[in-house]
Amino acid sequence: MQSGTFHTTYASDVSLRPYWPQRIRIALALALALIFPWFADRYWLNLANTIAIAAIGAIGLNILVGYTGQISVGHGGFLAVGAYTAGMMAVYLGTPMWITIPVASFFTAAVGAFFGLPSLRLKGLYLAIATLASQEIIIWLLTHGKLLGIGESLSLPRASNNLFGLPLEWLGNNDFAFYWVCLAFLIVTVIFVSNLFRTRTGRAFVAIRDQDIAAQVIGVDLFRYKLLAFATSSFFAGLAGALTAHYRGVISWERFTIETSILYLAMIIIGGLGSVSGSIYGAAFMILLPAFLSNLARTLSDVVPNINSYLPFLQQGAFGLAIILFLIFEPEGIVKMWRNVKDYFRLWPFSY
Amino acid sequence: MRKRRRTFGWLIALALFATLLAACGGGAGGGAGGGASSEPIKVGAIFDLTGATADVGTPYSRGQTAFIEWKNEQGGINGRRLQLISEDYAYQVPRAEELYTRFVTQDKVLVFSGWGTGDTEALRPKITEDKIPFISASYSATLANPAETPYNFLVAPTYSDQLIIAMKWAIDDWKAKGNSGLPKFGYLINDSPFGRSPLADGTAFATSQGIETPLEVPSPRGATDLTPQLTQLRDYGANYIFLQNVSSPAALAIKNAKSLGYDVQFVCLNWCANEILINQAGADAEGVVGTVPFNHESEGGKIALDYARQKNIDYGGADSTFVQGWTAMSILVAGIEKVVADGKPLTGENIKAALETMGPIDTKGVTPPVQFSATDHAGLKALKLFRVENGRWVPITDFISAR
Repeated sequence: MQSGTFHTTYASDVSLRPYWPQRIRIALALALALIFPWFADRYWLNLANTIAIAAIGAIGLNILVGYTGQISVGHGGFLAVGAYTAGMMAVYLGTPMWITIPVASFFTAAVGAFFGLPSLRLKGLYLAIATLASQEIIIWLLTHGKLLGIGESLSLPRASNNLFGLPLEWLGNNDFAFYWVCLAFLIVTVIFVSNLFRTRTGRAFVAIRDQDIAAQVIGVDLFRYKLLAFATSSFFAGLAGALTAHYRGVISWERFTIETSILYLAMIIIGGLGSVSGSIYGAAFMILLPAFLSNLARTLSDVVPNINSYLPFLQQGAFGLAIILFLIFEPEGIVKMWRNVKDYFRLWPFSY
Repeated sequence: MRKRRRTFGWLIALALFATLLAACGGGAGGGAGGGASSEPIKVGAIFDLTGATADVGTPYSRGQTAFIEWKNEQGGINGRRLQLISEDYAYQVPRAEELYTRFVTQDKVLVFSGWGTGDTEALRPKITEDKIPFISASYSATLANPAETPYNFLVAPTYSDQLIIAMKWAIDDWKAKGNSGLPKFGYLINDSPFGRSPLADGTAFATSQGIETPLEVPSPRGATDLTPQLTQLRDYGANYIFLQNVSSPAALAIKNAKSLGYDVQFVCLNWCANEILINQAGADAEGVVGTVPFNHESEGGKIALDYARQKNIDYGGADSTFVQGWTAMSILVAGIEKVVADGKPLTGENIKAALETMGPIDTKGVTPPVQFSATDHAGLKALKLFRVENGRWVPITDFISAR
């Protein structure tokens, strides 16, 4: 909270980002995002797209875990539902992506609400195991794809990558074109979710997280809002999954295993539970960390011989180390660190 | 305490900033490359050294690295050195995508050697788009058709062919043992695209021979006991079990079957038919049959193994897998050599054309001569079956082909 700011109109009082430093930062971030693809090569575009898609998925998971307080280790499964729905529509019906993506998102929301049903009766670890079951059921259905009439993997036709009849290739190569698609979806997601928690529904989610019995007493319909949280969360998982399918062109269930679910949980824990920007930081951190380590090792390989043979083990270790260090030193995640940095400057030189 | 926490936060912020700088620096540095003929020829590769298939992934990677070193010691290609740019990807598709993109766009590798079925499939569209001649250790039949995957080359008989060859042998073996009627088949497979890759073609072949549809049993990843899976196969009455898996779980299955008292003939496809299986299953491995596409007891195999001994390369005693990695890389490099010999510029298109038109590639007896064509990228059609006798893989047939 910033002192010395006085709202004189209702509009300025309810605005999402009322302070000028916030607005400047957002403008800077947007400008950076708009300039970036013109200078980056395909490797960095590929990383940026991966981060954007992961951030959408992580924001979705954060709605459920960080805001509503329901544990889910089935996020990978919901990503798979989105990816396969979009993939099957593109392959068997030849549907373009501007139709498959929304359809896949809504379908995943429905599937998510269905698997959210146990949440009414179950809490904490019990719910975690129930969502684990949903993850395994979805992956089982996909590995036995013959049952559903789908194969082990799906290969999407390039022609399905078009927006309202305009092929994406017109924008440039696949990575460059998808940068804009992923960025647009990420921005829409961020605006939607940031505002969601200023509405009645969002406040109900937070009330359930803080104390579900109290929430029920003040008139929050637990059943309805828990299912709604599962549906909203899965909606974004479906969106991320559908984007993955169209961006990668080939999908197989190996991409959506339990490890993916855990990775997404790690993203929001490291980034910051209950924070939209935290989800983005967490996604960026978890995806850049291995890339950074291997780049570092190659730079060092001239100085330290044989570092490449240790690299795989360093990478595995670094992952665990990062999570433990965060849990010990900053359990509230990267977003809290960023806040500390901002506070330092805001209060300087009279920080006490 | 507050102060300390703040300092730590600053350190992290600084570290993140440094990360960003280093990352951007790395990005800018990648631009150079190509051109002058003294430049090394860059070969990209991803290996599984820590993931689910690391037991065979490690000796395979040692074979590929060793071949590049050996080739450079022999004078490289027309005086130009080969440079292998490789990294571990832990059998994870997203890691494979990231490394592939980095090696291709930043390091400008010319050809690429991949590993698993899942990641090779996932990279398919990119390989075609980037025009990178690509071999992998996945011999999935879907990669053999150049109309769909023009830059993927298969350097061994497809998994489907391997399974059909193994089934042909099994039917003959059943008759040779004086049994009447037809045997029952079962699959015990890796629970992944790799494991399931040959099953549809294999089942089609089996049913065309009048054999009942084989029972498919996946073995869970990281399982420590496969008795339930084997009991399922025993109840079904399988006489031959085809193992499409890597060595460690295959060895486990063989040992479990022994202690279960289940008398069955195991047939290993490519990735469990190696010395790791014998080391791990010990005496229980006796009599196991395998489809080994790369014969390490040959002139070419001897060159590779002698080199490993001379350089003290540790590949865990998996002779056949080491030779497989070596030979696979040698086939890819043969395409580069041909382009250089013809004096054409080194591009993906030219290497692809060279591999398709250069005629049979001699692997010095490790495999039959490898021949690609513009309509067929499965370079090999035939292989010998081997059996474990006295702790060694011994050939028991001549070259058999699937069709």
